Amino acid sequence: MDSQQYFENYNKKTHVIGRIVTIIVLVMLLGSPFLIGAILGAMPSMGAFAKGFLAVGLIWTVSSIVEFLVYTPMLGAGGSYLAFITGNLINMKIPCAVNARDLVGAKTGSAENEIISTLSIATSSLVTIVVLAIGVLLLQPLQPFLQSEVLQPAFNNVVAALFGAMAYKYFRGNMKIAAIPLTFMCLLFVLVPSLTGSTSFMIIPSGGIAILIAWLRFKKNKA
Amino acid sequence: MNILATLNSAPLYLICGGIIAFVAAVCVVFMIRAYKAGIAIGMDKTKMKRVITSSATFTILPSVGILLGVIALSGSLGLPWPWLRLSVIGALHYETQVAQAAAEQVGLSGLSAAEMTVQAFTTIALLMSVCIMWGMVLGLFFNKRYTKKLGSGSSSKKSGPSFADTAMTAMFIGLVSAYVASYVGGFISGTAEAKVYKLFGFQGDWIPLIVVVVSAAAMSFFLWLSEKKKKAWVESFSIAGSMLLGMAAAVLVNLF
Repeated sequence: MDSQQYFENYNKKTHVIGRIVTIIVLVMLLGSPFLIGAILGAMPSMGAFAKGFLAVGLIWTVSSIVEFLVYTPMLGAGGSYLAFITGNLINMKIPCAVNARDLVGAKTGSAENEIISTLSIATSSLVTIVVLAIGVLLLQPLQPFLQSEVLQPAFNNVVAALFGAMAYKYFRGNMKIAAIPLTFMCLLFVLVPSLTGSTSFMIIPSGGIAILIAWLRFKKNKA
Repeated sequence: MNILATLNSAPLYLICGGIIAFVAAVCVVFMIRAYKAGIAIGMDKTKMKRVITSSATFTILPSVGILLGVIALSGSLGLPWPWLRLSVIGALHYETQVAQAAAEQVGLSGLSAAEMTVQAFTTIALLMSVCIMWGMVLGLFFNKRYTKKLGSGSSSKKSGPSFADTAMTAMFIGLVSAYVASYVGGFISGTAEAKVYKLFGFQGDWIPLIVVVVSAAAMSFFLWLSEKKKKAWVESFSIAGSMLLGMAAAVLVNLF
């Protein structure tokens, strides 16, 4: 068997294994909340789930489609099956795979790139799994400290901490897009404070305004 | 048993650990297959070993950053679930946002252990799983067709800048704006009591605003180190590090 034929067979099997593994992981991920619910005696509330999905799920669905279209060409078949299963794409897998590809000078779409990407993402995923497993093990003795009253304000403000960091990252360089939705949403929440209980729904008008402004600017720059 | 003890119980560790172990085994299979295929098509073994070593070292620092994310979420969701979410499929910024949105939908005022119930937790867990699964679903149906099309050479030409990237950035700007604005509104027109409001009373919780400011300042410092001082490794810790500093500010403000 020549190397090209071998590689074609390898690719075919990659798709078969990739699809089977994806199905198994999907079943495990979707099944685990129900399994936990059955063990602990409280199943997920489907009404709250549906409302939550309408609020944030649609945004992440669009985001996933864009990620799939953009990252699959970079990662190749095996690499993208693995990357979408193991996650942390933007902050780790993509830069890791690109770094590996640059290291050996592999070209996008080549057999070499397919092998290098898969090796890189598999290694990266394994290292993350090992680091987190060791970390979780070491965290066990710290549990009483982590659950102490003094630290609760910290954990109650995880989301504010995340959005503070992300606000700086996204707003800088994009203030012309951010100024109007930010001002509008501030006024809205000040004048109708009861909306603070449904912030996740308010992402929709806020995101809509930001996209509209971005579109107008994009068209203006193109003209 | 309090809620965190329940969420840190052995069955949850077994379920989450089992899924993580399965994914680890999948990674090993993909790695061995790729290595063998590389040898079969004549690739240099040294090159492949160098890729493995560099990928491993490249990943260690960001992984520690992700571990900090597990710590951040463990205060409200227990340890096993964030461990699973951030080991497999998840991403730090995604998990926190979806968990918060799901918490609101199940009637909690926010993501906190004080209000958490088992049903709230299972609903949050389900929403976290469903919202992020689309990359896998698309891969399941379209990976083969898409990579085949790319392999045919039709993708070699580069188009100009597309609106898709800008739209994604704008979408996140809208998302962040909504949350930051809710803290402003909560402080200006909220009160110390939940669901009781006083327009322009300035009696609401101001700690989230302090946290936003501190974590934004920390992020600006990390990015300055990374971009101006050429310490690129700092970037791996920027989100988690900024979050931890913001959260530390909440503890300090609450103490004084």
